[in-house]
Amino acid sequence: MKPFFLWRHLNKLRWVSLSVVFAMLVLLPYIHVYQTYVAAHAYDLLAPSEQRVFDVMETLTQPFTNDPAEDLDAIKGNTWSGTFWGLKLSDPLAALGQMAAGLTLYWPFLLTALIPIGLSVVFGRFFCGWICPATFIYELNSNLASWLRWAGLKVGNRRLDKRIKYGVLAIGIVLSAATGSVLVAAIYPPAIIGRELYYMIGIGGFGAGAMFFLGTLLFDLLVARRGFCRYLCPGGALYSLLGRYRLFRIRRIVETCNDCAKCNAVCEFDLDPLRDGFGQECNNCTACIAVCPTDALTFAVRITDYPAQGPGHLGRRYRGEHEDVAGHEEAA
Amino acid sequence: MKRRSFFKVLGAGAAAAVSSEPTRAAANRPSLRYLRPPCALEEEEFLAHCINCGQCGEACPNRCIKYFSLENGLASIDTPYITPREKACILCMKCGDVCPTGAIQPVPREAEAIMENVKMGHAEVDESLCLSYQGKTCGVCYRACPLPDVAIRVGRLEQPHVLENCVGCGLCERSCIQMPHAIRIVPSHG
Repeated sequence: MKPFFLWRHLNKLRWVSLSVVFAMLVLLPYIHVYQTYVAAHAYDLLAPSEQRVFDVMETLTQPFTNDPAEDLDAIKGNTWSGTFWGLKLSDPLAALGQMAAGLTLYWPFLLTALIPIGLSVVFGRFFCGWICPATFIYELNSNLASWLRWAGLKVGNRRLDKRIKYGVLAIGIVLSAATGSVLVAAIYPPAIIGRELYYMIGIGGFGAGAMFFLGTLLFDLLVARRGFCRYLCPGGALYSLLGRYRLFRIRRIVETCNDCAKCNAVCEFDLDPLRDGFGQECNNCTACIAVCPTDALTFAVRITDYPAQGPGHLGRRYRGEHEDVAGHEEAA
Repeated sequence: MKRRSFFKVLGAGAAAAVSSEPTRAAANRPSLRYLRPPCALEEEEFLAHCINCGQCGEACPNRCIKYFSLENGLASIDTPYITPREKACILCMKCGDVCPTGAIQPVPREAEAIMENVKMGHAEVDESLCLSYQGKTCGVCYRACPLPDVAIRVGRLEQPHVLENCVGCGLCERSCIQMPHAIRIVPSHG
C-alpha cells in the first residue's frame, strides 16, 4: 500500500504556512504604522526612512484598498487573538487563561476560541507545527543546533519528562487565577512573538517577553532540542490535551517499513514513529512522512494510534525472524 | 536543574504579584500616572479580561496606546495604557471595536454615547500654575477639548472650569503650554 503522493510534500507546505504566518505578523504592524501616517496626512513631515515605509506599504496595499485608514482595519492582531474581516479568532489558551483570571465565563470572547478548538480536536496539535510563529524560529534554531553539532560544538540534547508542560499549564492557570491577570500570555511564545514584533515595529523597543523568548531559545540550544515546545509550553500542553482523540493522525505501514529510524531522528518532538508511538503530542508536522525513504508513513483517520505493529517487514530483524520460521517449516 | 530554576522564577513572580500593595503604590506615583483606553472596564476587571493581544494599539490611529512591561507590577504586564501628557486619546473608539475580550467595551463614536460610557479620568486645574488664573489669557485646554462647553467651560480671562461630563481623554493635558502642566487628568482607576 502506497501513501497518497501529496503527503510527502506536506512538510514543504507547512514551511510555506509558517513563513506566511510569520510574514503577516511582521507586515501587520507596518500596515498599522502606514495607517497612522495616512491618518495624519503628513507625508512631507515624515523622515526619509518613514517615507520609505509609507511608499512600500502604499505599493503593497494599493491594489486592495480605496481608503487605507479604514479598509486595512480588516486584519488586525496575531495568532494569540486576531480579527479577520469581522471574524475574531483566539487561542484556546487565551480563553482558558481569561476564564481563570476572572473566574467568570465571558461568552463573546470564549466563542472566538471555538473554531481553533474544533480544529484542534480534529487535527490535534497542528497549531504547533503549522501556524505557531514561535515554531518558525524554534525550528530554525533547531537547524542551527544541528549545524553547530556538525561543526563539532556541543549542543544540548537532554531528555526531560514531557509531562512537565502539563504542570506548567496548571501553574500558569493557577497563577492567572491568583493574580487576576492573564499571566499565561507572558510565558507563551506565540503570544510573545506576536506582541513583541508589534512593539518592535509599531512602537519601537521590546517588552519583557523578548527576554523570556531569548531565554527559551538558549534553553533549546543548550539544554534540550526543541525543549520548550516538548517539555514546557503551556499552550502545547493544552493543544495536546485537545488533540488526544484527534481524527487525523500519522500511521506506519508496517509492510513497507525498513526500520531505518530516520523518522525518529527527524521528529522535533522526540516521538517514536518507528514503534508506532505518536500519542497526543504529535503535531502532524509530517516531517517523518517527508523523510521516510520507503514511503511507509501515511495519514489515517482514527481516534487512537495503531497498536505497536512490530518491526518493519523490509527490515533486517523481521526478515531474519521470518527466514528462521521458513527454515523450521522446511525441516519439519 | 533548569526546571527547578524555572519554577523558582515563576514562584518569585507569583509572590510579587500576590502582594499587590507595592503595585498599587506604584500606580499612584506621578511618573506612572496612566489612563486605560476609553471605556475600559474597572481596573481589576480589566486585568482579568485583557489577554494582552495588542490589538487595541494596532487599531489606534493616533498611536497613543502603549504597553506596560514590568514597571507597573506583574499583573499589568503587556496591558495597554495611555500617558496623556505624551499623547492623548482622540476618542476614535476603534480600540473598543477591535478588543476581543470586552476589556475595552465597544462604544459608538457619538458624543452622547461617549459622554455616557467613557470615564478614563477627570481633568483637574491647578490654579497656581494655570496662566489664565495668573492674569494671562490662555484657553488652550478649552480649544483642545473634543467636548467644548460640555466637558470644559471658560470664564473670565479664559479661566477653565472642568465640568462633570469630562471623559478624561487627556487632550487638554497634552495641549497645556505650561511646564509643569496646569491641567491634568486624575485617572478613574485607583
